[in-house]
Amino acid sequence: MPAVLGFEGSANKIGVGVVRDGKVLANPRRTYVTPPGTGFLPGDTARHHRAVILDLLQEALTEAGLTSEDIDCIAYTKGPGMGAPLVSVAVVARTVAQLWNKPLLGVNHCIGHIEMGRLITGATNPTVLYVSGGNTQVIAYSEHRYRIFGETIDIAVGNCLDRFARVLKISNDPSPGYNIEQMAKRGKKLVELPYTVKGMDVSFSGILSFIEETVFAMLVEITERAMAHCGSQEALIVGGVGCNVRLQEMMETMCQERGARLYATDERFCIDNGAMIAQAGWEMFQAGHRTPLSESGITQR
Amino acid sequence: MQASGGGAGGAEGRDDQRSSRTPACQSGSGSAEGEDVHQAPEGRGVFGRGRAVMEAAVARPQGERAPDGLGSAGDVAPLAVRPRRGEVVLTLRVPFQSALEADMARRSLLPDAQRHQGLIRKEFAVNGSDLLVRWTAEELAFIRLSLNPFLDQLSLVIRNIRSLGIPPRQSLS
Repeated sequence: MPAVLGFEGSANKIGVGVVRDGKVLANPRRTYVTPPGTGFLPGDTARHHRAVILDLLQEALTEAGLTSEDIDCIAYTKGPGMGAPLVSVAVVARTVAQLWNKPLLGVNHCIGHIEMGRLITGATNPTVLYVSGGNTQVIAYSEHRYRIFGETIDIAVGNCLDRFARVLKISNDPSPGYNIEQMAKRGKKLVELPYTVKGMDVSFSGILSFIEETVFAMLVEITERAMAHCGSQEALIVGGVGCNVRLQEMMETMCQERGARLYATDERFCIDNGAMIAQAGWEMFQAGHRTPLSESGITQR
Repeated sequence: MQASGGGAGGAEGRDDQRSSRTPACQSGSGSAEGEDVHQAPEGRGVFGRGRAVMEAAVARPQGERAPDGLGSAGDVAPLAVRPRRGEVVLTLRVPFQSALEADMARRSLLPDAQRHQGLIRKEFAVNGSDLLVRWTAEELAFIRLSLNPFLDQLSLVIRNIRSLGIPPRQSLS
């Protein structure tokens, strides 16, 4: 019954998780939140992570009720992500692996999301819509590998929403996307053009509803196309934007029309977390993968 | 910077990070006339007891290449490749409690050190119980940009070792 410790810190969330045989034993996380109108920069984000990561490690072990002897493998995010935050987490993973004399496993962040999504929902072979601040891809498993069927040609959908929130100085606490969603729920009028003026006043809810309806419809379309191509009867949404209920509704509608089933997880696992890295690490560990220290450098892309 | 490990299973009672030992920085003594030597400014210590030693010098160009690889314990860590004319070299020596700890820190920090190899060259070695890090670049400014983040990562590794402690009968994998 191997137990895997996982470290994640590729963006502004830092998490440490423990997974043993398909059970999440601990998954504490902290988020680096910047003031409205600003985004998070690599150096400041890394500083935040460095300040809390050792405490998070202790929290995870305490919550799981385990000691270093109970841990069989140390998993960490090798990439993709922001350089300085990735390095800050990787050096701790390497140091812990050496101190406890455990094997090290560098995990792909995207695969972490997918493996946790599959674990939590039980989906067997879904077409995956991976949507977050840093990634927008439609992924399916075909011939022993995860393959990208479709993706953004420029910025991720979460990045689009985050930047929009920044312009409007919407709060980043707990996340800009969450606050956009709450405001969009109150929008009553869907407008074709993103320009809403009422006399001397302006209204922004309509713009946010427009943003959501349009970008989410785009995502539903490319997911549907991939499902048709693969003959898939399952869809799984992972990544922070997957928390958005409106996106889930639109995906559900599309799935029902196709007689397919939609899977999604809640904010504990949609949003970056340490347990998803531990879970993906568990799968790799069982398959015999190891990452030698000399090859454990982070990769931003 | 002295990294004090927790010892066998023990943890330090006092938080040494807040003790204010000033690290002394020495300027490197060059070998020939005409060398321009920079003295790194003294500052407040954040790593507890001991001191870091930094040597910066504009290296003189040499005729032949040094042998590959950094010197192991006992050498004064010659460079793998001699600096070219006008290049700046900065050496940081970090004393640890043991060679084991110093090498552990090296293995944790080395894999990501190659990321900006275009502008600067960063080399690691362990000499006794000291970790040696050497930067080579055309401009001191490049080195300064690399040094600050590196010190942050180094500090994290030291805190990590201190918080978890070196187990007895540790063997390097």
